[in-house]
Amino acid sequence: MDGFKLFFDIVGVFFVAYMIGYSSFLFLSVTVGSSTLYHSKLRNRLKSELSGEYYIPVSIVIPAYNEEVTIEQSIKSLLALEYKLYEIVIVDDGSKDDTSKVVVEAFNMHRINRPIQRRIACQPEEMIYESLDFKVPITLIRKKNGGKADALNMGINASKYPYFICMDADSVLQYDSLEKIVRPVLEEGDVVAVGGTVRPCNGAKIENGRVVSYHMPNRILPCMQVLEYDRSFLAARILFDKFNGSIIISGAFGLFKKSVVIDAGGYDSTTMGEDMELVVKLHEFCREHNYKYRIRYATDAVCWTQAPERLGDLCKQRRRWHIGLFQSMTRHRKLLANPKYGLVGTISYIYFLIYELFSPYIEIFGVVTMVLASFVDLLNIPFMILFLLIYIVYSAILSLTAFFARIHTIDLKLKFTDVLKAILLCILEVSCLRFMLAFVRAKALIGYKKKKHSWGRIERKKIELN
Amino acid sequence: MGVELMIYMYGAVCVAMIIFNIVYNFISKSQRPRLNRRAKKLTYRIKPQLERLKDGKRLEQEHLDWLFKKLKRIGWLLALESVLDSAWLEDSELYELREHIDSYLIAIQPVMLYLAGEYIDSKPLHSGYFTYFLSRHGVPRQNEIESLQGILLEYLKKENFYCRVNSLKALYRFASAENVVRAILTQDDGRVFLHEKILTEGLLSFTGNHDELIKGLWRSFERLSERSQLAVLNYIRFKSPDFKEQMYGIMQDKSRPKELRLSAVRYLGKYSYAPALEPLIAMLGDKDLENWEYATVAASSLAGYSGLSVIEALKDALFSGNWYIRLASASSLERLGVEYADVIDIMSGSDRYAREMMSYRLETRKLQRTGVE
Repeated sequence: MDGFKLFFDIVGVFFVAYMIGYSSFLFLSVTVGSSTLYHSKLRNRLKSELSGEYYIPVSIVIPAYNEEVTIEQSIKSLLALEYKLYEIVIVDDGSKDDTSKVVVEAFNMHRINRPIQRRIACQPEEMIYESLDFKVPITLIRKKNGGKADALNMGINASKYPYFICMDADSVLQYDSLEKIVRPVLEEGDVVAVGGTVRPCNGAKIENGRVVSYHMPNRILPCMQVLEYDRSFLAARILFDKFNGSIIISGAFGLFKKSVVIDAGGYDSTTMGEDMELVVKLHEFCREHNYKYRIRYATDAVCWTQAPERLGDLCKQRRRWHIGLFQSMTRHRKLLANPKYGLVGTISYIYFLIYELFSPYIEIFGVVTMVLASFVDLLNIPFMILFLLIYIVYSAILSLTAFFARIHTIDLKLKFTDVLKAILLCILEVSCLRFMLAFVRAKALIGYKKKKHSWGRIERKKIELN
Repeated sequence: MGVELMIYMYGAVCVAMIIFNIVYNFISKSQRPRLNRRAKKLTYRIKPQLERLKDGKRLEQEHLDWLFKKLKRIGWLLALESVLDSAWLEDSELYELREHIDSYLIAIQPVMLYLAGEYIDSKPLHSGYFTYFLSRHGVPRQNEIESLQGILLEYLKKENFYCRVNSLKALYRFASAENVVRAILTQDDGRVFLHEKILTEGLLSFTGNHDELIKGLWRSFERLSERSQLAVLNYIRFKSPDFKEQMYGIMQDKSRPKELRLSAVRYLGKYSYAPALEPLIAMLGDKDLENWEYATVAASSLAGYSGLSVIEALKDALFSGNWYIRLASASSLERLGVEYADVIDIMSGSDRYAREMMSYRLETRKLQRTGVE
């Protein structure tokens, strides 16, 4: 019995330390994130920001696979952007549907024999089309299937400008997003990458890249994801940005300096989380080559994307993210607590290792321990309930703080029912969805090698654009 | 106990954050009506002053005193901007008097001068906004008060990025070439990074005499950092064809930084200069891999020249081992109007890379023509 007691004591101490670490991080990130958003709002009010007179040439690379339903709208939305100097490069990664045909017909594209310099290895092109009939040049490259990373590498090879943006074929950029995402490059000299803000568009009505009305999504699952996005992604990324420690730029919207990405070897087509892998690789590359660099996060550069509405799709998405995380962390394990990599190796890497990669296992271990403890009558049930309640209330308050900070600072108007929905669902999110997803993530690594090149399809609806 | 204390502390701060959120929401909701109220008050006070200006009278001292007092607060300055931006469109009486707004802005210059001294010591965001206000509503050209510009040069020494950008904008608006040259030298202290694009675009927005400004900048050229020099060269490329000899000098000076020499090559591509032809051809023909950027830009610049030697040099460069040199050479040949028959030797030759590149450029031209049609 003493052995059990000692074991549970050690587990207890471990979990107290774990929870203190996590709650401190969450607290810090939400505090810093919210204050940064408020400060940005003030800056905006007092016109302390660059106006859209300065244009850095940007290539927008869109990898597409079986996107015949959404691709036309996506390209149309890109043509409506309020920016002057950009090009659009669509890479059809051997789609089985009519993705290429839809693009060729909708944008009056002509087949052309264009040589492409292979500065990064990728599958060969099959056909290239161009159109010069629109505001900016559009290029379509149909290539042999090789996965999303491979398609992005092809897009980088074909792009003409010194900076490129990667985005998903089913996402929509806000009208001013290019202007906002290039700002950090103009503000600081050494910026090699800028992450944009990805927001679930469920519940938003978008016209010409502008949100004309917004309400919380009707379905519970995307609603909870809206809250989760604000707490976990927005706030945490702002915090990491403060010390050049961002190790994730979402594949849905990010800007990169092409020369540095090429020197670092481009996207890794053998990983599922090519977006994270690239950013970690850039940190490693720049540090090892003593290249002065900054990786920034632009809170006001917005890309709207569809959050999965079905539980099955959400699980698929999280499974994929977790595998990508695992691959990036293991491939760049030399960063772990290595002072050569500064705060990226010590704070960011360790945070992602403990609170992202290991967290589902730790959480499940915690539940199993509680069950065991109750068997041997060592579980203090009232204390456990109290602790759980504190955790729920604490997380819910932080979720709401991050959520309202975002809503207030971008002048979105919410109805009373939306506020009520947010309050109720944030409790459900931290108490149920989080544990459910922990279980999914814990299982993610079982047999993942079989599907390493897959595109990870998620059923999406057409984004409503006018 | 320590853990409990920490939980309570975190909880307390969380609750404080929620309260802050609620309060902030109320404040921001009241901000717009407050701004509108202030704008209305300002309109009410400005209208009789505009009437006075219309009648050839001066502003009342009482009005100036009131402005001295109120505009020290950022909220009132925001309201004044709102009046100048849009309120006159919504108020028919003010609309009638709109042609006197410039005179009004000139008449309140003593207030602006006083405010410049006040805002320079305030928060960086407020200083930045004040300079932004001047960049939008500073006095029109030739009417500037010299000492206000002198103070703006002091704002340029502040370590706030936006304060510097907005101060520069205000000085571009004031149209004094001499002060802009001083401003460019002042901002070049290496403490705040200003992208060369911001400097170039800013200089292009200068409302005064560009020739005068270019001459002034050129006189101070050697005192500038490389980044500012690059911005100035790019600016000159957009505005003046009269610097061929100087640019030629920079292009040929191997002790100059690469970016400056490349900018000079671009200039000599935009404005052709006979003595530069041979050096450009030599640059293009340079086989040293280290010099591929010079060769590439030279290839692009040669599109501004004509003659058999240019065509031959560009055709030779199509066989270069460097992809960018081939691309630039093919583009220049296409811009020089070569037809398929002129490059038949390449199109039927054995070098696949040269053939593909030339073929692509000719196809693009066809596509452009289709687009135009």
